[in-house]
Amino acid sequence: MSFIPVIWMSAIVYASMITILSIGFTLTHMTAKIPNFAHGTYAGFGVYVSFMCVRYFEMSPYYGFPAAFLFGGLMGIFLYRIVVSTLRRMGGGAIVLTISTIAIQIFMAQFQHIFAYLTRETYGLMSYGFLLKKNDFTFEFLGQSFQGIFPISLFLVIGIVISLRWMLTKTKFGIAMKASAEDPELSAVLGINIEKVQVASWFITGGMACLAGAFLPMWFMGSPGAGARLLTSCMAGSLLGGLGNIYGAIIGGFTIGVSEIIFTAQGMKLLGLWVGEYRPLIPMIATIAILLVEPSGVTGWWARWRVGGGYERLMARLGRSKEE
Amino acid sequence: MIEIAASTAVVYQRIVIDIAMYFGLFVIVSMALNFQYGNAGVPNMGCAVSASIGGYTVSALITRIIYWVGTNANIGMKPYATDYDWNYNNQFNTYLMNDYIAEHAMFGMSMFILSIALGFVMGWFMGYIISLPAIRLRATYLIITLITMADAAQILGRNVVWISGGTLGMWVPNVLSWYPGDRTIITAVATMLIGIICYFILRTMLNSPYGRLMRGVRENDLTVQSVGKDVVAIRRNVLMFASGITAVVGVLIAYYYSYVIQSNFIRATWTYWPWLMLMIGGAGNNAGTFIGCALIIAMRRVIIVYKWALESFVWYPIVIFEQQLLATLLLVVMVFRPDGLIPEKLLRIPGIDYRRLVHEETEVDWRVDRIDPSKRGGILSRIRGGGKKEEAE
Repeated sequence: MSFIPVIWMSAIVYASMITILSIGFTLTHMTAKIPNFAHGTYAGFGVYVSFMCVRYFEMSPYYGFPAAFLFGGLMGIFLYRIVVSTLRRMGGGAIVLTISTIAIQIFMAQFQHIFAYLTRETYGLMSYGFLLKKNDFTFEFLGQSFQGIFPISLFLVIGIVISLRWMLTKTKFGIAMKASAEDPELSAVLGINIEKVQVASWFITGGMACLAGAFLPMWFMGSPGAGARLLTSCMAGSLLGGLGNIYGAIIGGFTIGVSEIIFTAQGMKLLGLWVGEYRPLIPMIATIAILLVEPSGVTGWWARWRVGGGYERLMARLGRSKEE
Repeated sequence: MIEIAASTAVVYQRIVIDIAMYFGLFVIVSMALNFQYGNAGVPNMGCAVSASIGGYTVSALITRIIYWVGTNANIGMKPYATDYDWNYNNQFNTYLMNDYIAEHAMFGMSMFILSIALGFVMGWFMGYIISLPAIRLRATYLIITLITMADAAQILGRNVVWISGGTLGMWVPNVLSWYPGDRTIITAVATMLIGIICYFILRTMLNSPYGRLMRGVRENDLTVQSVGKDVVAIRRNVLMFASGITAVVGVLIAYYYSYVIQSNFIRATWTYWPWLMLMIGGAGNNAGTFIGCALIIAMRRVIIVYKWALESFVWYPIVIFEQQLLATLLLVVMVFRPDGLIPEKLLRIPGIDYRRLVHEETEVDWRVDRIDPSKRGGILSRIRGGGKKEEAE
């Protein structure tokens, strides 16, 4: 008996990954005002943190999650300090910074190739295409067998969303972060250390991306390019969310992640197996459609709905009008 | 001994032809990129799409036309209508057509010119399509869409067999097979010629009133818009024209290899390397583009040809090393020589002494808010945060 089909589990694991990546991409875009093309590559490092945990140290891959977060965060800080901050101080505009993130992506992706190559040459381990599904724990619930990563990825997303919400609304630091995203000059005048805020945001986004990558090989195939391949979906998710709103990124990332898997599966069922080859086109088409229809994504729709009085009408219909 | 010397000479000849060919190809791409980014400020990260459209034009359209002519000439062509026949009779048909073109030089020549023209038109049209979603929006949105579209072009080429033979790729007839000598030499010469023609076309366009309008859009699009010019249309036209020129490069590379496969048109080769050339040479002038292109092409071809010699120094595959070199050079150039090797020059307007009209700082910058070079400080202080500079002030 199975009350959750495997394809939906797969979709939810994938969507959790894309959601975490989209949140990070959006956060970087909010604070640094550039799309970080190296974001997918961070995830690629997470893939190999899990790989090391299982194949080198023979532990459960879950022990690698904190290490992945820390590693990704430190990498984010390192790249920010060495490249992005330097270029910005030299007066690089948005386009120069964007190109620099592409250069970072090319450069960092090669380290994954080197690691995979050396691992294969030295220890003879399968490091170019691997799956850690067997190293995950399984459990029975209501007669159906589940992989551990399915609930854990979902809990991780919810945990990250709640903690980000808490951080951005309740802590002093989060409010400073929001302020410096709105207007860096004004918040610097008010005494906020912009540089610290930037470093923290690059730490958080790098860590989250690496964490998302760490649970990729538990369900999907891990390889040196696996992280970078997620970038298109992650960008589509962020664009659907409006590139300026974290809650939008949650909706966007989850929608894109689920639809990528489910549409492909349904298409393969209805139209034939050839649809499977075109799976990477789904986030691309979504990107183009969003930019053509509503460039500010869900956030734009929401804002228009609020301005057009839709919110008040809904509240009035629910009997919770403000006038009463 | 003589044989070894002869073979060494052949190897060197091949390297020279190879470098000449690639220089010709990439100089066209980087000039087109310079036209877009250096002069109009359109950051086109989708050069790979345009180049692949050129290749697909040769494989899907020109090859069909040539096969059709061959079928009507009754030289024993095998069928090529279905996907299966298209793939598996491709080699035989191409072989027959090469012999046919060797005897009919005018046909081959006309097909060559037709493919260049058709490639330009297809690339121009593709430029319109890829500019549709994001040309009105911020530059970062344009970069995002164009980067994803390069992948889309490859996915389509990989899976739709009639475009370029799918994953197997396909051979294309050599339209220059009437040339009795080495076919790579004639292709390289044709490429260089087309490169020179492109150079003069682009130079004329840049020094025309429209070129000045493009620079105006790059410097301040709001001002240009406020005097009644359609900024979006200018950007789109620039992107379309440059996309057409890049597609011509796709056509030429298809003839150089006599083979078209989607993996020839990867993003790294056709987008990132030209950007590096542009950055090294300096955006905004064609001389810089030439120098950047020559440096990078020579370096890359030498790395590829002397791979075996380099492999004893690097303890991982040389392909990885090449990519790292690309990224490192790009970052180093952006940090230490943001203007490139040759800074931008003023436009030439016939009949007007531009230098006398412009009294302000002539060093036009392609980035915003640049710090004065004299205030920059040393290498370490630049990475640490320019402490020395602030102390001095």
